Amino acid sequence: MYNLEVEHLEKNYDDFKLDDINIKLPKGKIIGLIGENGSGKTTTIKAILNLINIDKGSIKIFNKDYKDVSHEDIGVVLDDSFFSNVLKIDDINILMKHFYKRWDEILFYKYVEEYKLPRDVSIKKFSSGMKMKLKVICALCHKAHLLILDEATNGLDPVFRYEILDLFSKFVENKDNSIFISSHITSDLEHIADYIIFIDNGKIILDIKKKELFKRFGIVDVDIEDFKNIDNSYYLKYLKYKDIYKLLIDDKDKFLEKYSNYKIKEINIEELMLMFLKGESEHGKD
Amino acid sequence: MEKIRGLLLKDLFVFKNYRKNIIFSMIVFVMVILLGSLSYDMVFTGITLFLLVFGLNSLSTFSYDENSEVDKYLLSLPLTRKEVVVGKYLFAFLNSFLILILGFIISVGSSTIVSGRIIDISKVLKNSMLLFTAVSYLLCINIPCIYKWGMEKGRMQAAILPVFIVFALGVIYFTLMILFPNIFNDSFLKMIYDISFILCIILNILMYYISFMISFNIYQNKDL
Repeated sequence: MYNLEVEHLEKNYDDFKLDDINIKLPKGKIIGLIGENGSGKTTTIKAILNLINIDKGSIKIFNKDYKDVSHEDIGVVLDDSFFSNVLKIDDINILMKHFYKRWDEILFYKYVEEYKLPRDVSIKKFSSGMKMKLKVICALCHKAHLLILDEATNGLDPVFRYEILDLFSKFVENKDNSIFISSHITSDLEHIADYIIFIDNGKIILDIKKKELFKRFGIVDVDIEDFKNIDNSYYLKYLKYKDIYKLLIDDKDKFLEKYSNYKIKEINIEELMLMFLKGESEHGKD
Repeated sequence: MEKIRGLLLKDLFVFKNYRKNIIFSMIVFVMVILLGSLSYDMVFTGITLFLLVFGLNSLSTFSYDENSEVDKYLLSLPLTRKEVVVGKYLFAFLNSFLILILGFIISVGSSTIVSGRIIDISKVLKNSMLLFTAVSYLLCINIPCIYKWGMEKGRMQAAILPVFIVFALGVIYFTLMILFPNIFNDSFLKMIYDISFILCIILNILMYYISFMISFNIYQNKDL
């Protein structure tokens, strides 16, 4: 049923706490984890991969305790970590053949050719985009069933980003496969994610199906007079931008029932993130 | 075993990166040993040079790993923490052992072939094993320190620690010499030297085992 289940996960640091994180990733689906830098995205991923010791909660991968699961079936991209920079592509292929039982050398070199990655230089000479391409390729070439991707589209040019997102979408066409991807490039997640989880300051503040998100949430732009007249229980947050007040509506139907003369604009995930992080919930009409 | 082989290759590929420097340094040392052998007995000096200069080289792989945060990535692959630590120890051991053999062959070879000296192989073997044990001792202190404090701070701690341990052992031995002069005297030291080859093997096994267990415990509980 689920390829990844996280329940009541907690991790305490001196200056940061990951608090009561709950995630359920069904087979055949993609969860997009969004949040500011330092919000806890990478810490969540590290916990799932058993790179850090957790203080509370449970994590299951493929219905088994995460500590008992071999990473043979998991493909991983970590933003800040890879093989040593002095290695070349052929070295990495040799290593992966040793580490993964199902390493697909032919597929690996097919991608290397396709994405024009040079084989004769060490990866320290790669651009950040080329290096990210290589990391993504490595995650895709051993017939994994779960991809855990931390900022995997970082530094990629738009064309390759499109290609990679397409690969990810194809990956979940196999209904046994799932992807858990964190990104601050929210437009990427808009394209591929089935669920959006929004994390802020170590806590999940929104966990919603993407379709439902677009169905429920919207933005209304109003001037100061209208803003004063609108009941604050009909919107979640507001953000003042020059003379315009942007209202984040979390129940479009309810809002339109009362204020049918206003036009609700479609929202994108970036706007939603901005409203949640920077918006205010008390508008001080007094 | 396949995965351990992969981990060894990973570090070997890092070595490959500065193979020119290693080969050049080795050629220089071989020249020094060859020329020195014409006038002096360079066997012990040669082995010492090789072991001290190249025997600890494996520690540099920690630095490369740290720079690219390789450990995090390795543990996201189908590798356990134990395998990663075993890989590091095996690489350190194999590197110093191969250097010992290389130093031994070059030094003994140059002394016998170039200068035509007759070598007391048993003495050379004993002394080589003592040197090898000294290098193992340094490795076995350095590796847990690096796991605990990271490369920069760990190497600093590891530079101080061996001196304290040797000093402590010296104090213990001299105390024993004073307390039991009939047992801990020159003949005791000679007896120890006579069986030093076997003692060194046992000491190496013990040091590597204890050091590995310390490193594994540190690494097992480490947040990456």
